[in-house]
Amino acid sequence: MTIVETVLVFVGIPAGITALLAFGVYGKTLLHQPNRYRPGKAWNYPPSWYVAHPEALGQPATASGSVTAVGGASGEW
Amino acid sequence: MSGEVSVSSKQIQHGPTGPLGAVDGPFTTRQLTRLDEALTLSSVESGLAFSVYVGELATPTRAHAEALFEALTPNSVLLAVSPGQRSLHIVTGDVSAKRLPNRACALAALAMRASFSNGDLTGGIVIGLRMLADSAGRA
Repeated sequence: MTIVETVLVFVGIPAGITALLAFGVYGKTLLHQPNRYRPGKAWNYPPSWYVAHPEALGQPATASGSVTAVGGASGEW
Repeated sequence: MSGEVSVSSKQIQHGPTGPLGAVDGPFTTRQLTRLDEALTLSSVESGLAFSVYVGELATPTRAHAEALFEALTPNSVLLAVSPGQRSLHIVTGDVSAKRLPNRACALAALAMRASFSNGDLTGGIVIGLRMLADSAGRA
């Protein structure tokens, strides 16, 4: 065996197998970020506001009149 | 996906903007689907108009959440979550407060906090919506 062949067999093949395994384990995460929130991590996304489908609800989600907050609850984590 | 709120006041963007599952958005497509399902189901079941705000709140955060609520209807329930500030607010209106006493809101907030502190933002919001819809009962 030449030096090139030796290197290919003893370095190339193990490296290839390792890369394959690593891709199998971490590939999904590497390809698309899961956007997982972690407490204490900065939140740099623009604010978003989600409401239910107005058709499903049978009424508009927004009102033109004056609406005041009455109650509720707060919390921190 | 959920309908968009077109509110004239406030300078915030009402989401979701752009294509579903946009790379720069805070939620993945699957998470958005879960949110949408929970939002629509709890609203239809209880007859209350639930809405979820996720983003920065100006301090004092409670006042900002209540100011956001003023764009909604008296039978709305607003869940305002600020992951950066680690604070959440549930706001009820004239009609929805009769169905959802503060005690029920506090219980939902507690469950949401538990999920949030584990890093599960979507799960916490979904649990909060479910619990509030359950407490409110059928329309």
